Amino acid sequence: MSLAEPKQRDLHSAATSHRGDRIFNRTVTALAFTALVVLAGIAIFLGYSAVDALRTQGLDFLFTTEWTIGEDPKAGIAGMLYGSVLLALIGLVIAIPASLLLSTFIVFMAPKRLANLMTNVVDLMAAIPSIIIGLWAFYILTPPAEEWQSLLNQYLGWIPLFQNSSGNFNGTPFIAGLVLAIMMIPIITSVSREVLGRTPPDLINAAEALGCSRWTMLRMVAFPYGRGGIVGGIMLGLGRALGETIAIFFVLKLVFEINWYHIIESGGGSVATLIVASFGEVSGPYELNLLLAAGFFLFLGTLIVNMIANLIVNRSGKMQR
Amino acid sequence: MTTVLDRESLVQDQQPQRPWRKRPVQLDASIAIATLVPAAIVAGIFATTDIPGAVVLLVVYLPLQLVAAAIAALVTRGRRGVADSFLIVSAIGATIFSFIILISLIGSLIVRGIEALWGPEGFRSSFLFQNNVYINPSTPLEYGGLGHAILGTLIIVGISTLIAVPIGIATAVYITEVRGRAVPYVRFFVQSMSGIPSIVAGLFILTVLIVSGAIGQSAFAGGLAYAILMLPTVARTAEEVLRLIPDDLRTGALALGSTRARVVLRVVLPAAKTGIVTAIILGIARVIGETAPLLLTSLKSDQTVLNPFNSPIAALPTYIFDNVALPYPGAVARAWGAALVLMLLVLILFTIARIIGRDRVGRRS
Amino acid sequence: MSTAEFEGELQTLESEVTLPAERGPVELAAENLSVWFGKRKVLEGVNIDFPKNSVTALIGPSGCGKSTFIRTLNRLHELIPGAALAGRVLYEGQDIYEKDVDPVHIRLKIGMVFQKPNPFPSMTIRGNVLSGLKLSGMKRSNHDQIVEETLTAAGLWNEVKDRLDATAGELSGGQQQRLVIARALAVQPHVLLMDEPCSALDPASTLKIEETIRELSKDITIVIVTHNMQQAVRVSDYTAFFLAAENEPGYVIEQGLTTEIFGQPQDQRTLDYVNGRFG
Repeated sequence: MSLAEPKQRDLHSAATSHRGDRIFNRTVTALAFTALVVLAGIAIFLGYSAVDALRTQGLDFLFTTEWTIGEDPKAGIAGMLYGSVLLALIGLVIAIPASLLLSTFIVFMAPKRLANLMTNVVDLMAAIPSIIIGLWAFYILTPPAEEWQSLLNQYLGWIPLFQNSSGNFNGTPFIAGLVLAIMMIPIITSVSREVLGRTPPDLINAAEALGCSRWTMLRMVAFPYGRGGIVGGIMLGLGRALGETIAIFFVLKLVFEINWYHIIESGGGSVATLIVASFGEVSGPYELNLLLAAGFFLFLGTLIVNMIANLIVNRSGKMQR
Repeated sequence: MTTVLDRESLVQDQQPQRPWRKRPVQLDASIAIATLVPAAIVAGIFATTDIPGAVVLLVVYLPLQLVAAAIAALVTRGRRGVADSFLIVSAIGATIFSFIILISLIGSLIVRGIEALWGPEGFRSSFLFQNNVYINPSTPLEYGGLGHAILGTLIIVGISTLIAVPIGIATAVYITEVRGRAVPYVRFFVQSMSGIPSIVAGLFILTVLIVSGAIGQSAFAGGLAYAILMLPTVARTAEEVLRLIPDDLRTGALALGSTRARVVLRVVLPAAKTGIVTAIILGIARVIGETAPLLLTSLKSDQTVLNPFNSPIAALPTYIFDNVALPYPGAVARAWGAALVLMLLVLILFTIARIIGRDRVGRRS
Repeated sequence: MSTAEFEGELQTLESEVTLPAERGPVELAAENLSVWFGKRKVLEGVNIDFPKNSVTALIGPSGCGKSTFIRTLNRLHELIPGAALAGRVLYEGQDIYEKDVDPVHIRLKIGMVFQKPNPFPSMTIRGNVLSGLKLSGMKRSNHDQIVEETLTAAGLWNEVKDRLDATAGELSGGQQQRLVIARALAVQPHVLLMDEPCSALDPASTLKIEETIRELSKDITIVIVTHNMQQAVRVSDYTAFFLAAENEPGYVIEQGLTTEIFGQPQDQRTLDYVNGRFG
């Protein structure tokens, strides 16, 4: 046995010394970077327009609530930005409890066949294209929703949240938020269901052996365990809601003034819907640029939300393993 | 001295029983009361007032049921049971809520969509095959159809598939087979890409290619926008599928003197065939109903367009979009009919993916 | 043969073979081979010659690096991230780790059979046998002949000759392993490495495969890792005994003729191991 440590051979270059493999590896690697290229491309091209818009409008672009093109253009998407957030919030208020209840029911309470049925139901809802939901929302959801809102106004109108001065109950943030909730529920439920389903049975058995009620078991074992995944799922749903365009296109009346909290008052904002709505009647390259800038902020917002969501979900998955 | 028992006589009269299954009589009775009483009250309200059903359910029935269940739980299980009873009532409520929404969605699709597909003479196949030249929104329903839109969707989705699938599979191969140093970054970017709003994908293609004049508004542009949305789904599903292929296949092939490329192309990918097909189908189902990107890239048309490169083209989602919110019943019926056809397409795709997936698992014995 | 005659034969054999140089041409050899995984050294200073057309058994308790060692012989070791080695592996006198040596080419000449049979499950029996040709790009026109010859050499022909188009997944474990051997033979290797090929199989299949190994060794050099000492005695001409102390790299304690290693080992540890006192 030698006393000195023998010199190690260079294996790395040997592993891919075959010419065909080098070409193969390079091609596959190049293609795999497409995702990065596309993301960067979007950031660059839309960002360029955003910089342009900011240059002419200044930071006011994010804080103004007008949209006048022409002699002395003054445009801002403040109302839209706020509106997108407000709608997403309304949606979350409805979707989070509903999704948590659904996923808990599927994993811990429902008999097996019902649980399977419900999983399929949720997956089916996730598959429905947004245009169909928009169609349904406009024709089927709106009439009863108008009635509910007028009742809300009638009995609870003294709360500023439920004030309505126009008598018009369509195109309200409430309905749009409700539609967004319907789109978010399948996403959040799916993710939560998966995460809760991975709760180690040993922990659950331990709780049950101690005589816990089901609610206590959930509170002390299942939800803490699944917290990361559930939060991640909620953020994924949020990301979807922020970017949703078509489903709420027909049930939201776009106005540029900020509708702060009159959720059953007609009129609200959404960046995505603005882009689609204005696109057909764009007056010229200047306005197009503004829309592209709006798109950039939409892209940025949803990207950040999604990246955070993925980080949370990934990290929670790794920890539990 | 040891004892030997006469087993026969001991077990002779034993019958299998399940003593743990017996429920206390109280529990049954209280559940019965807890469900019937609120139901009766609600039925009464339904019958006597004209408050809309949803409101009654939410505002009257739900609280009543919660209270009744809480009382029943209190009686049978003591204070511990109350939280559980709230939980179960709310959970069932949420379930019913989602069922109602789904049934309303599917139901309205069928009921209202059938009008376009079924006329007095029976199945109206012309709706599926004709285009909309010479048709305007007020034209009655017997004329015109979806043919050009269905064709357009097929062309656009086809182009998108041709672009996104090779790139998606290559991405998956990079992650599982080549295992380069950038794998965590690639996975992260693909994941982030799946969150791009569909309108942004359309905007991107618009700015980069259309505004600059490289291509015109066409099926090709729409296909590119769809490809951006399709790529993450295909890549993610393909990656999961490739991971499932056991490593000894790869090692075995290498030991036979195969190059890395051949291992992937001749062993791993063929072994993952069904999974990759599933990935493709799921990718198609993901994009087939997207409207926003098409509104910016392929626009719309009334004619049957075959050239994917030089002119706007109709597609199912944009067809629906055009016909919504118009005051003509014919147009509205067309929108519903198109929606029904689109939903059927999506359902067929998902069912095929399910069947293929199940086949694969079954045969693994 | 009478006992006296047998003993006489044994003595003749023993007196004939002493130094490695008299063993006949060496096909494959490890020269001062040390192997690492990252910073952990798992093998140290392994020096073994594998004479042409012989069977060498590598024995030793689990975890002492035998499987790792065998994978350095056909350059599969380098596929593991963090793999490193020092020393040389000589095939027909040439170091296989030299800069311009194509590992793919090496693996054609030095084939491998693994512990768990790994035929390609969705291919037919015929397809499996020929897959080596396709994967390595070898062009041959006599496919049917190759299929029959290799399956016969592997001892499987009679059992599958009527169902060559059945999928490999339908075969039993022992049959699958013989199919894998046939597949390896189809690319005409000069050396066949076998990593505990029978440990997952039933005794009947094991015996069949041992028969195959003895037949094959007339034309091919075979290196077999095995835990089964009776198998080593039945099958091999030479044996190398590996051992590793806890947290220490493994190395070869003793090597030589199988009859000597098992009959008259020189090291106490070898004696203990072959007598089943540990392992």
